[in-house]
Amino acid sequence: MGEPDVSGRPDGGHPPPDAGRPLVVALVGNPNTGKSTLFSALAGIPTRIGNYPGVTVEEKVGRFSHRGRAIDLVDLPGTYSLVPKSPDEQVVVDVLRGRLPGVPTPDCVVIVADATNLERNCFLATQTLELGLPAVVALTLGDAAEEKGITIDVDELSRRLSCPVVRVVAPARKGVGELGDRILAIAGSRPASPQGLARHAAAVDSRHDTAAREAIARYAWIEELLAGVVQRQTPSHRPLAERIDTVLTHRVWGTLIFAATMLAMFSAIFWLATPLMDGISAGVDAIAGVVEGLLPPGAIRSLVVDGVIAGVGGVVVFVPQIAMLFLFVALLEGCGYLSRAAFLMDRLLCGVGLGGKSFIPLLSSFACAIPGIMAARTIENPRDRLLTILVAPLMSCSARLPVYLLLCGAFVPNVAVGFSWLRLPALVLAGMYAVGVVAAAAVALLLSRTVFFGPPQPFVMELPGWRWPRPAVVLERVREAVWSFLQNAGTLIVAVSIVIWALASYPHDADAIAADVAARRGSLAARLAELPAADPDHAELSAELAAFDTEEGLEAARRGAAQRQSLLGRMGRLVEPIVRPLGWDWRLGCAAIASFPAREVVLGTLGVIYNLGDVDPGEEAGASALVRRLRAATWDGTSRKVFTLPVALSIMVFFALCAQCASTLVVIGRETNSWVWPVVTFTYMTVLAWVAAFATYQIGTRLLG
Amino acid sequence: MPASLDSASLEDLAVGSSARVADVSGDDPTTLRLLEMGLTPGVYVRVVGTAPLGGPLELELRGYRLSIRRHDAARVAIAK
Repeated sequence: MGEPDVSGRPDGGHPPPDAGRPLVVALVGNPNTGKSTLFSALAGIPTRIGNYPGVTVEEKVGRFSHRGRAIDLVDLPGTYSLVPKSPDEQVVVDVLRGRLPGVPTPDCVVIVADATNLERNCFLATQTLELGLPAVVALTLGDAAEEKGITIDVDELSRRLSCPVVRVVAPARKGVGELGDRILAIAGSRPASPQGLARHAAAVDSRHDTAAREAIARYAWIEELLAGVVQRQTPSHRPLAERIDTVLTHRVWGTLIFAATMLAMFSAIFWLATPLMDGISAGVDAIAGVVEGLLPPGAIRSLVVDGVIAGVGGVVVFVPQIAMLFLFVALLEGCGYLSRAAFLMDRLLCGVGLGGKSFIPLLSSFACAIPGIMAARTIENPRDRLLTILVAPLMSCSARLPVYLLLCGAFVPNVAVGFSWLRLPALVLAGMYAVGVVAAAAVALLLSRTVFFGPPQPFVMELPGWRWPRPAVVLERVREAVWSFLQNAGTLIVAVSIVIWALASYPHDADAIAADVAARRGSLAARLAELPAADPDHAELSAELAAFDTEEGLEAARRGAAQRQSLLGRMGRLVEPIVRPLGWDWRLGCAAIASFPAREVVLGTLGVIYNLGDVDPGEEAGASALVRRLRAATWDGTSRKVFTLPVALSIMVFFALCAQCASTLVVIGRETNSWVWPVVTFTYMTVLAWVAAFATYQIGTRLLG
Repeated sequence: MPASLDSASLEDLAVGSSARVADVSGDDPTTLRLLEMGLTPGVYVRVVGTAPLGGPLELELRGYRLSIRRHDAARVAIAK
């Protein structure tokens, strides 16, 4: 204990780097020390972001040059200690010791230390210095320290630590040049590590285990190291940061401000993202229109327009939501608010087997699960992170809203409940969101008591000081999130869209289609003959029959027939036995199957199946046309209605709980570095959705008749 | 592992008051984590606030703010 571990170096020191290759410099430090800002100030945008081999720990490398020398800057994950208790800590130790295959041993280390709490920062600093690598300490947040009345004797500190210490103000790039000079100067040197740990270790009683004894001894040593070096004076007035904190973590005010912040964040996302998304949708449609004009009608045109362009459009339309969500999360994280939110929500989340840090990822998933799942990276504990990722898709995302709105509006009686302004459809809508939350809580609770059973994970979390979020860091987070989404989800979604297009278009048997159209016409006429003219459906069915005589109407009928005759249609009929207990007919089965890759398509698919052609359920006219058709729809060969209230409820419950988003599954795979978890998610959610829809329908029909 | 009955723990400390840490019990990663964050014997700790519904405590020590669950605060014995 106390001796630097120099295993792996044949000469016991560090081989001098030859001038040809770039210097490899590792950046270590506690979280919240401005390490990312320093990285940006030195190396700008990272040249490589990915995961370290075999683990879900992020690797971030940047390149810059100083005085003509190329330098590779490796931003290691922020850690509090080098004793490996988490994958992050393990990676930091492995990289510093040169033990990760494919990752070069650093030539020197920059230890980022926060001047406002030097004692705790020195814990990691002294551990790092004991590794024997050439090191320089970059002292950040000097202005915040000044505000708190802290002064540091940098020269004496440097002497006692036996390594250079440079004051850095990263956002202003002050001290960055000197830091670069020091890096070049020390690379290849054989530093002496500071002595003192062994002396203090002897004084600690042996009740604790080795690591604990070392931690106690280290702090005793640090207190001695910093005596006289760090001076604290009570500032003349309480710093603003402290006063803000008292309000924000107050049990009443803090919680209220927190709720208001969350509400504001989501409203902003809905208000700002929706026009952008509509704009992108319109743009995609415009492109589709142009291409449609250029290509001759036929399979190729259909493939390009309905398959590829629709597929790509379906991916790109997510970008505003993801960018906006990550922008807010990065801002909240940068200023320090995220940890306050986790602090307030921890108790509630503990109750269901999660923790405070799961709050933002889960809340984000109400807008879109993809950025929510990516935000789970802030949860260091692997079990909690995985659990959060597995239940995040249950939070009703914005893609489910059109289905809820249409079905609630069409089939839930518009009666008042209690108060005259409280309407049943609105309550049912809220209820659908609640279904997702309750299901997530139940699943988390169940998993944490069974499959993921283990001791309650620690919640030992720093509440960092308040600071202005750094634009460079914030924008970098947004850029990285959007890019990785486009890369990974994009390729898969386009592929899946093409497959669905193929399933819905083939086989294309013109005779069968003509027969289907004729049959439909015949059955419509027969039904109309039986219905009294006063019946509300009479008008709708007459309109549908009349449409057969128009060019447009006939085309829509043919498209519907084509889809019904296609592989998709046959699959729908195949699964009818499975969906009948839910109260659905094969058409709904069809629509459900088609929406597995992306639930947004369900209403459009229903429109085509019910012969509305290209109607856009997003537009008012399209939606009401669809509603009328659905209301008039009956089981094949009977006059029994398909869409009753219990059926509408079972459809909504199914959509609330089913994993109908291939993009989400892809992102889960990427974030967990395995294909197992997407499969698990898809399976459990589909089973859960079926069971819940079944229960809803069966209980509903018994209760409501 | 809770502190022994005859000594008070961080959990019992009233909001706004400070105390010196006497010891941190336990042999698991949580104890090590608490020690590594600076909750070692001899350090002064002040309880700044608590989260609602029996949630975590907010502490001030060594010039920064740390939040830990009540359950974990129970293993930090404080000197009278």
